Amino acid sequence: MEAVLRRAEQAGYDSDEEKLLIEQAQNGNREAFEELVRKHDRDILRLAFHMLGNREEAREVFQETFLKAFRSLNRFRFESSFYTWIYRIATNVSLDHLRKRQTLKEEISYESDTENNPDRPALKDTLAATTYYSNPERRLYGREVGERIQEALKSLSEKERLVFELRHYQGLRLRMIGEIMGSTEETAKNYLFRATQKLRAQLGKV
Amino acid sequence: MSCQEYQRQIVLSLYEELNEGERAGLETHLLACRECRQAYVDHQAFSDALAEDKAAWELPSDLLVESRRALADQLDGLETKRSWWRVPAFSVVFTPMRMLESATLIALGLAFGVYISNHQLSPGGTGATLESSAALVLAGVPQDGRVSNVRIVNTDKSTATVEFTGDVVQPLRFTGRLEDETTRRLLFSALQDSMNPGSRMQAVEVLARESSEPSVKGVLIHALLNDENLNVRLKAFEGLKPFADDEDVRAAFMQALMSDPNDGVRVAVVDALAPFTKSEAMANSIEAVTRNDDNTYVRLKGQGLVHAVGTQR
Repeated sequence: MEAVLRRAEQAGYDSDEEKLLIEQAQNGNREAFEELVRKHDRDILRLAFHMLGNREEAREVFQETFLKAFRSLNRFRFESSFYTWIYRIATNVSLDHLRKRQTLKEEISYESDTENNPDRPALKDTLAATTYYSNPERRLYGREVGERIQEALKSLSEKERLVFELRHYQGLRLRMIGEIMGSTEETAKNYLFRATQKLRAQLGKV
Repeated sequence: MSCQEYQRQIVLSLYEELNEGERAGLETHLLACRECRQAYVDHQAFSDALAEDKAAWELPSDLLVESRRALADQLDGLETKRSWWRVPAFSVVFTPMRMLESATLIALGLAFGVYISNHQLSPGGTGATLESSAALVLAGVPQDGRVSNVRIVNTDKSTATVEFTGDVVQPLRFTGRLEDETTRRLLFSALQDSMNPGSRMQAVEVLARESSEPSVKGVLIHALLNDENLNVRLKAFEGLKPFADDEDVRAAFMQALMSDPNDGVRVAVVDALAPFTKSEAMANSIEAVTRNDDNTYVRLKGQGLVHAVGTQR
């Protein structure tokens, strides 16, 4: 995690080399764009994987993020760092996926009808089959505690969840998180505090 | 400042988000306030529990490789669409040459339309004429060849000629012994050119039976180090493994250990190198290469080799 923090701090500004890559990519140089992707893709995938909790959606978010970046790179004006910009896209795409999932969940809950549709799997079974907890690696760590934390994360508002995710799991500084959210460090601090309070209330002693 | 505000600072301090002044102020308050001290201890315990959960979220190594490849495919698709629109015939700038090109394309389209229409309307009667004109168009092209990627590279108004380039693909069926030059060239071709990873894997599998041959060894090393398909790389590794005492093969293994994105390949390679790590220099090289590896086994194996060589001395 220290490595992530260091990387995040370094990525707070664009080096000359990265600026050159961005300009080359803006001029249609595919290799330069791929080089930019390589610099940040691990962090973006980690964010997507943890936010969504399963491989398939993480891969979708990963692709959507970089395709959006590819299409809109010409609009990047160096007003923020590239790292902040790409993270902003990734967080928006991740939140969209979470919202869609929520909608789907509501639809399925509404339509669930064991009498008329006995073959339709229950939502909890579907989720159990696709989430990270079905991964054997994950089971090595206390599955129960992990599940409780994930459940508690659902009680957070979108922004609280985002700030907690970016600070706790991704190791980003609150100043940068503020920039990603288009807000301030102070606001990010407030969200982090509220998120922690809510999680403590939900989890008690884990 | 109220205790509520200090408790906010406690959370921030555990994330190392306080400046020097704020931290000093918090510490002074904690010395004086029992309630906040207890809150600090509780928050610390909670933070430790969450930290364990954080550690459990390792990114599966193959997911990154899969995601990168899927993205590259998507980008290829986007670029193909863009390059289609960059074809000069679709440009809005009308130079005389471009108009001639466009006219040729339209003429070809019309001719093709007439051909299709006649062919469908009268498969018997006019077929002979059409077949002969088709044969005329395809003069110089093998009878069973399939023409693709046709492009107009030159048009000459004065002589009314058009120059094309393109590919002719002819069906191929060949049986030969493994040691035959033609067989080997076809296998090399399958391995280097095929868009199909299944074919490449089969080619590696067959070639691996002859991996002591210098030319085959070179091709397998190339596949191990460059093929984008994991299974092809693993097959190439299996083919080379019995020859790990060969200097070129060991050098290729070191390269794979340094750069292969897949944990499975790096684990296999470091295991294959282990029996040949007799010298301290070799062990140190492997340790240096594996020191920052994402995979714990590879890192420990690298350290173990240095230790083992040291113990033997």
